[in-house]
Formats: sequence, C-alpha cells, structure tokens
Amino acid sequence: MGTVLFQNVSKTFPGVRSVRALDDVSLSIGEGDFVALLGPSGCGKSTLLNLLAGFDRISDGHLLFDGRPVTRPGPDRGVVFQEAALFPWLDVWNNVIFGPKVQGVPRDVYEPRARELLHLVGLDAFAEALPVQLSGGMRQRVGIARVLAMSPRALLMDEPFGALDAQTRLSMQQLLLDVWQSLGTTVLFVTHDIDEAILLSDRICVMSARPGRIVRTLPIALPRPRSIASLTSPEFVAYKADILSEMNVVHH
Amino acid sequence: MTTSIERLVASDGPSGTATPRRRTVVVRGPLRVVGRVLLAVALPVVVVATWQLAGTGGSLFGGVLPTPDRVWKAWWTWAFGTTGLGLNPYSGTWLANLLYSAERVAKGFGCAILIGVPVGIAIGWNRAAAGALDPTVQVLRPIPITAWLPFSIAVFGIGPGGAIFLIALGAFYPIVVNTSQGARDVERILIRAALMMGAGPFTILRRVVLPAALPSIFTGLRVGLGIGWTAVIVAEMVAVKSGLGYVLWDAYYVGRMDVVIADMITIGLLGYLSDRLVLAIERWALAWRRLQSHQA
Repeated sequence: MGTVLFQNVSKTFPGVRSVRALDDVSLSIGEGDFVALLGPSGCGKSTLLNLLAGFDRISDGHLLFDGRPVTRPGPDRGVVFQEAALFPWLDVWNNVIFGPKVQGVPRDVYEPRARELLHLVGLDAFAEALPVQLSGGMRQRVGIARVLAMSPRALLMDEPFGALDAQTRLSMQQLLLDVWQSLGTTVLFVTHDIDEAILLSDRICVMSARPGRIVRTLPIALPRPRSIASLTSPEFVAYKADILSEMNVVHH
Repeated sequence: MTTSIERLVASDGPSGTATPRRRTVVVRGPLRVVGRVLLAVALPVVVVATWQLAGTGGSLFGGVLPTPDRVWKAWWTWAFGTTGLGLNPYSGTWLANLLYSAERVAKGFGCAILIGVPVGIAIGWNRAAAGALDPTVQVLRPIPITAWLPFSIAVFGIGPGGAIFLIALGAFYPIVVNTSQGARDVERILIRAALMMGAGPFTILRRVVLPAALPSIFTGLRVGLGIGWTAVIVAEMVAVKSGLGYVLWDAYYVGRMDVVIADMITIGLLGYLSDRLVLAIERWALAWRRLQSHQA
C-alpha cells in the first residue's frame, strides 16, 4: 500500500508558449519509502508532486498509485503544502478533523485519533486557536496533523519547511522523522535543501530544469533512526559533497 | 537529543496567545468613547444651531423651511400625538409607518440575500453558471430601480408587494456582484487542500467557498441594504399608501415641511441602525478575520 509508479511521464502546460515542465520521468516508490525530490526552483519537482496529488493531469506516460491510475485528488494521498494552507476561519481542532468529517467518518472514530495527533505534533493546548494566532512552524504542524488524521497511504510534502526559520525547520524535520518512524507511511518530499533531503530520505532524486528531468537517483544509506545529530556525521558530509558536485554539473 | 528538540519546539511557540491579543482590541478607555461621540455629534450640533439661529419666526427662506424647534414639535406630535381623524392626519402614526417601511425592507432584503448569495456563488464558482447568468445580470444592473417603478406598479398594483419587489431587486445586484467576486477570489490552494481531504463539490462550496467569500458577501449586504432603503422610500412615495415614503410625499403635498424633515431624519437613523446591525453580525461571523487584520 502506498506504492507509486511514474512511467515515462511528461507534463506540458499549454499556453501561448507552452512549457514542458516534466520530460520523460520515471520513478518507482515502494511501500513505506521516503523519497526526496531535490532540485532548483523551476525544475518541475512540485509539478511532479501535483501530478501524483491529482491536482494536475499528466500529458504523457503512465502514473499509478497503488496500481491504479491517478485521476483526481483524494485522502489516500495527503498533501502538506508549503504555506500550510489551513482554513483561516476554522480553529486548529476543526482544521485537523476537516478530512475525516467531510468523508463521513464517525465522530467517535476520528475524535480520539485527532486528539492523539494534536498531542503528537505538540499542539494539545492550541486546539481552539485560529491559524492566524500560530507561528509558521505551528501552522505546519497542524498541516501535518490534519493530513495524518485521514490515515493516508502516502504523504506528499511540497517544500513544507521551506518558509520556516532554520531552528524551527530542524525541529520540524525531527518531528517528521519521528512521525514517519512510527507510522511508516510512504513519503514523497519536495525540497531544494540538500541537508534536508539527505537527513530525511531513503533515496534522493536530483532533478534538472528545462525540461524537468530526474538526472540522478542517490540512495542514502545513513542508519535509522536518524536525528538532526546525523547532520554532522562523515557519511552525511560525503553525501552532501557528492550532491553538490552533481548540482554544479546540472547548472553548467 | 530529545531535550534539545523539546527546547526547539518550545521556542517555536506563538508570539502571544489569543486572549491578550483579543483584549487589546476590545478594551478602550471610556474617555476615548466619550471623545469619539463628542467628535461625531459636533457637526450636526453646529448645523442645527446655525439653522435655528438663521431662522426668523420659526422658518427660513421666507417660510419655506421650518426651523429645528418646529421640526422637533412636528416629530413629537407625529410620534406621540393622539391618532384619529383630527386636523393632523400624521398624529401618532410615526411608529406604525416606521414599522411598515422596516418590515418591507426586511422582507425585500431577505429575498435579495436568499437569491443573491447562491446566484453570486454560482457565478463566481462555476464557469457555465457565470456564462449563463452573468450577462443577464450585467445588462439588467444599470437599469435604476426608479425605472422599474411603472413595471412594478403594473405587475403588483398599488401596495406593499411592489415595494418589496423593488427593494429585493435593488439589493440583489450589489449582493450578487460582491458575492461572485468573493467566490472567484478563493485561494486555489484552499480548494486543493479540501479536494485532497476528500471534499466533494457541494462540501467545497459550503465549507470553503462560502466562508472564504463571506467578507465580500458582507460588503455586498451593506451596500444592498442602503439601496433597499432608497427603494422602499421611492416605492412608498409613488405606489404604496403607507410607510415613511408615503408620509414624506404626502406631507410635502400639503406643505408640511416640518414633517418632511422629521421623516428624512427618521429614514437616516433607521438606515444607520440597520447598517450597524449588519455590521454587528459581520463582526460576529468574521471574528477570525478581525484577529487577522489586527495582527499586522
């Protein structure tokens, strides 16, 4: 459950000057894998995620989630957006239970789970706060909790920590590692932060721009469970040097 | 390791919790309130005083305009005088006429909301609905409600039905236009978030588009209510035999400018009060937004 298969997928955005955002991308993600898409802005990594989320349609190729073609968004693929995208008129609690509630899950099923998730992301005390009253990091915690409340088979994260300050980002990365460790959900994680990609993922797909392609796939064999202490290990630094040289090539 | 993370987590707390922030918004010094009231009434007081002092023998411009004291007396009789078939047909009818007009505005405005909000959401949200409805709305919109009077009298005759029709029509346009704008401007990412969480089209309309459009809807409601008051007076002057508009025109015909002015002021106060009512509802419904704007 939670397997992803991109088979020779291309995406062209039509227009006066049509843009080929993705060109012949193939990618296979197994159950419970944590895969990072790494690349400069405009390389199509968010486009790839939006295709899997069902927000956009592929132009060519095949895209399967759990063996079935992706045709539309759904709660089996929980998306965490860069700016959290919480409903500003709902408090934290109602944002978290939005998914199960609109899907008609019985209240006595989703309520205990939502409470548990709020605790997991450290926001028990803020159930009645409005999103605007929270810091960026806290909003993103709500964004993660509301997605987990739907028990998705895959988490699609689109630069979820990109707008946070460095310190908050570290604590969020640790939180995500802990959550993933305990839930084992498949994760597709889009980022332009090399450290973040190495720290979190089992595998990094380095992408290049115009047209968007996966130019290299790099397995990360750092031992699990990881923590932000892994950031300074020699293996980590070696991976980073490797990717940096790769991205240099990409840019020239 | 864990402890350092917890510290990081703790430092990621909110810059201030909800309660104190809300308090700073609500609490005002009583002196500031008094000052604001004084500032607000200064201009009317000056105008009324000048008007009173400029008059001679209870009138201005050679008897055309009554002075404020005569307006006040006329209003008093109109409001509290004994009713009956005396020489003054308005005596004691103020409240009854006020309620006639207010009731018509409430009914017409209610109709405008019930039709205008769904139509506006449909136009703003659905391309097909916009294509089918918007051109008609936009062509009908420039027709002033006064131009609809003959039509209204022909269809509804002399009576309150025509007034309610004109109010509903007049209030409908700003409600539709603002609602559709609000529905159009819903952030795409919120729609995507709702889709991702399994919401169907109707759920998205009700739980995302409607609340997101609510600020615009209230703008439309306030403009629409103002037009509703215009419409009720116009309709009553011509086509209804009761209400503030009817009294206004009737009093003018018999030369009772004191009643005319008392009537105008009554309309102004009613319009103001009804707007404050909508504003209060808006404040309540959009509490989340008020916090937002005060955070900047």
